[in-house]
Amino acid sequence: MIQRKTVVEAMFGALQRAATQMPPDVRAALERAAAEETDPMARQHLAVSLDNADQAARGEGLVCADTGFPLFFIRAGSRTALEGGFGALASAAEEATARATAECLLRPTMVDPITRANPGNNVGPGMPKVDLRFAGDGADLEIIAAPKGGGSEIFGTFYRMLYPADGLTGVRKFVIESIRESCYAGKVCPPAIIGIGLGGTADVCMAMAKRAAVLRPIGQRHPRPDIAALEEELYQASRRLGIGPMGSRGINAVLAVAIEVAVTHTAALPVAFNAQCLVGRRWRACIAADQSVVYSGEVA
Amino acid sequence: MKRLRLPLSEDEARSLRLGDRVTVTGPLFTGRSRFHIRAIEEGLWPPLDYAAVNAFFHVGPVMRPQGDGWEVVSCEPTSSLRFERYGAAVVRKFGLRTLIGKTTMGPGTAQALREVGGVFLSKIGLSGNALRRQVRRVREVHFLDELGKTEATWVFEVEDFGPFFVAMDAAGGNYFHDLDREVVAALPGIERDLGIPADYAFTEVNRRGDA
Repeated sequence: MIQRKTVVEAMFGALQRAATQMPPDVRAALERAAAEETDPMARQHLAVSLDNADQAARGEGLVCADTGFPLFFIRAGSRTALEGGFGALASAAEEATARATAECLLRPTMVDPITRANPGNNVGPGMPKVDLRFAGDGADLEIIAAPKGGGSEIFGTFYRMLYPADGLTGVRKFVIESIRESCYAGKVCPPAIIGIGLGGTADVCMAMAKRAAVLRPIGQRHPRPDIAALEEELYQASRRLGIGPMGSRGINAVLAVAIEVAVTHTAALPVAFNAQCLVGRRWRACIAADQSVVYSGEVA
Repeated sequence: MKRLRLPLSEDEARSLRLGDRVTVTGPLFTGRSRFHIRAIEEGLWPPLDYAAVNAFFHVGPVMRPQGDGWEVVSCEPTSSLRFERYGAAVVRKFGLRTLIGKTTMGPGTAQALREVGGVFLSKIGLSGNALRRQVRRVREVHFLDELGKTEATWVFEVEDFGPFFVAMDAAGGNYFHDLDREVVAALPGIERDLGIPADYAFTEVNRRGDA
């Protein structure tokens, strides 16, 4: 049985690493982008950002000060057993989040939407968010901590109910317009990772977009060839906008486009857009039944 | 790279051009949405000498108590577009010649900056860890108990703080507006190649026949 204290420690460890280390796939993609840009400002945006991440990895601060919304994506197997049951995940996430905030790994950013009162620990109704899924027949528990920055979430979230008559043409228009809007003046901190949800209900659709933006390794394509082709087509289109890093003049507004699909109503074509910022903050902790924890910036 | 001294003089502000890369040295104060709303809607602002502490840094720094004072853990400029509703009023009220933030601001703030002779400086990349070291002293903090560390007004003494670039100049120019014109020109070709007709419209179900 996986002990609660192990879960809290793993959640904290994943938050700590996410806040201070850039995932290797994101880093590699930013380096490729930096090699490609020609405008001096575009190049400097990336050079400064990579240098900033290096400093954070050396213990000299954070990958970005806006540590944003505390999100946990958790996967359990059919044989996973937790002390206190799966209901204990919520309080474990709260404990890990409050501790990471107290240790200045997370900025106290979560406030009441009406009174704007700040509890100071990033814990309150709805946050930290714990997304729990079951897959496989293992006994392990996979935790991905993804403190998601405000810029990408606030300026990079769009949803539209399209209809069958709008078809993929409507999807293409919605996506390219959303990229242009969200990357303007560097709002979402481009180069952004773009997640697109197609289908489902509105909430399923947006959850797919969020997972695609946050969890899909850069360079990994959807297994369905038609969806993979759409991802590549939209990515290539984004490179012609003339928008580069942090909204400068350039090529790389986008590092990747990742699309997830769900079946939907025969009358509907819901489409959701969610951007992840250039630091792509996420880190994985995998807890085995023997309490050992393995951390990794690779989430695939 | 130009090294600017704060408070910025009107002459210096008016000499800056869009895209100029700069650092700043001197005193500045921090704030975000709550500063703007309170100053304009509620008549509440920190009792600073705004002629001397004249640069407004849009940021919610990560701060850690240290001894009798505070240490900056990281400070990353936040998106200034969000403050546009109050931007012009704040610039005029305090006579601000230097705004430092992220993204850009709108036409109202641009007009106010023209009037006072001020500029908007936007960040270059993510540089919160370097900026942290360039804060030489955390001079004072206001409204900490009411607003918390992120929204409180901190007064920093900074040295060679940056780099930033001039995204709005004192003549009303805007770096990102100029760039967006190129994007607007590129869009029709991109949409055509994506198979989107020039007159394409999404199916609209929320308007009556007369709209």
